[in-house]
Amino acid sequence: MAEGPDPVDSMLDLMRRLPPTNVEENVNALIQICPDYADDLLGSVDQPLKVKTDRATGKDYLACDYNRDGDSYRSPWSNEYDPPIDDGTSPTPKLRKLEIAANEAFDTYRELYYEGGVSSVYLWDLEDGGFAGVVLLKKAMTPTSPDEPSGSWDSIHVFETVERGRQAHYKLTSTVMLELVTKQNNKADETSVLHEPEKKASEQGWKSSGEITLSGSMTRQTEQDWPVHEPTSHITNTGKMIEEMEMKMRNLLQEVYFGKTRDIVYDLRSMDDLNKARRQRELQKELVGFIKR
Amino acid sequence: MSSEDRVQVAASFILQSPPGEINDVLNDVRVIVDDDAGLEEGILPALREYNIAQFTTVEVPGEHHQTIISEFARVPDTEAERYLDPRSKISFVFNHLTLEATDPQSEEPSEVEPQRAALESAALSYLNSHYHDGVVTVLAMSTTRFAIQIVSNKYNPSNYWAGRWRSHYEIDFESRTIQGRVLVDVHYYEQGNVQLSTSNDSSISIPAAVSSLSPASSASKIFALIEAEESRCQASLNDAYHEMGEKAFKGLRRALPLTRQKIDWDKTMGYKLGAELTASNRAFGAQPR
Repeated sequence: MAEGPDPVDSMLDLMRRLPPTNVEENVNALIQICPDYADDLLGSVDQPLKVKTDRATGKDYLACDYNRDGDSYRSPWSNEYDPPIDDGTSPTPKLRKLEIAANEAFDTYRELYYEGGVSSVYLWDLEDGGFAGVVLLKKAMTPTSPDEPSGSWDSIHVFETVERGRQAHYKLTSTVMLELVTKQNNKADETSVLHEPEKKASEQGWKSSGEITLSGSMTRQTEQDWPVHEPTSHITNTGKMIEEMEMKMRNLLQEVYFGKTRDIVYDLRSMDDLNKARRQRELQKELVGFIKR
Repeated sequence: MSSEDRVQVAASFILQSPPGEINDVLNDVRVIVDDDAGLEEGILPALREYNIAQFTTVEVPGEHHQTIISEFARVPDTEAERYLDPRSKISFVFNHLTLEATDPQSEEPSEVEPQRAALESAALSYLNSHYHDGVVTVLAMSTTRFAIQIVSNKYNPSNYWAGRWRSHYEIDFESRTIQGRVLVDVHYYEQGNVQLSTSNDSSISIPAAVSSLSPASSASKIFALIEAEESRCQASLNDAYHEMGEKAFKGLRRALPLTRQKIDWDKTMGYKLGAELTASNRAFGAQPR
């Protein structure tokens, strides 16, 4: 084991290749093969966030590895674990106060940018004195008709901060998981591509049905220093950083999802007749040769 | 977990490999399963399934073209995995692990060779018109049924992307139908893992007049239908992109809040709340260490 490649590296490489739509079952399969690496895997592979309802407040919150203790998840609203456990880890009272304020602030952020969805913030103390946290946002759209696209967006922003005098250094790692699905159904009996009007429409039947899925995740990191005047400065600072990061990542996702993947499809098959294009190029060459003469 | 169970899980990973990345997946799986003997013994069925499902291509021995490995091309009654290249009428033994073709043999053409050859010629000309790097095979399934498979791959690992287009058609001259399926897969993995996966099933009627035409004319009419369907399929993918971008993507997260301004975080925090916190625990930030 000491000489060969690290199995965790291979697992992470594998997860970067396999379809994002199967991430949960693939992570479970890996854990079955290598139970010893379960914690490494669950801590490093981002999975779609689960929505849970806080029994005490009735508010929805998001479950992930960061608010998990055993099989229970802690709600950021009531600070209680579900299913209840006696000695579940919880932030210190001081950090919990900041956590409450952060949840309120990012709830406002969520409303302004997502106009729906669910947000949760979890904080924890670091051994070397600073603290860390995760800001989670999720929104899902269910189609109102079969032809409408459906989609979901999951943001996971993990940050660590260490104070240096009146400054704090922040390290932010952001992952956005985005899935979009469209179903298509088409049927035509009257239009025939061969245009043979003498034939009955039923003889020129055509129908098709399809499904298009764009899914995946992208991760980016940034490190920044910001002034700290009071405890809540941490919320203002991480808020600005996360807002900026989500803006960048939204643009990036738009470019990759709708630009890059589409271009690759056109690299595989051309809509235009390539022979025509080839002939045109030949003609152009001839013309250029003619002009040069 | 037993050795067999581990190989089973490995097989499920292999079958999910994105275009052009099966060797990377195999390398990862070898390290994870850590049982080369078990893998060598048990992984072949998964590789075979992958090769057939993904329209794996191989250079035909002694020829200058590639052919697609498929169930339709399988030569029956052979102990080894022997496949036919209908274009050269050469069969060969295919190794699903090394992807090598060996032991070429000539095969007798079937009785419907004129119709098959006409479809193949129309297929090659269609391929040339719309595919940058495509491979096509046309096989006779019976005297009236033909299978057409098209595959186009682009692998660009240095720019972290790969794509595969697969088309499969079954032409039935008796029921005068073309049953088609187009599958497109794209993987983009620079600092992320984004995949496009599409499937489109279609059913097209062949006009009655086509069956009375010569093999060459009917073949070119059939490919006119296929060309129209594939172009429609590609155009509808464009429409879907537009829909997903305009409706779903914009609906999930706005580019900016309604106010068209970034958030004023100090205001959002609420001065009262901030003040309360500061008063109650003497500045988390200004704590002496």
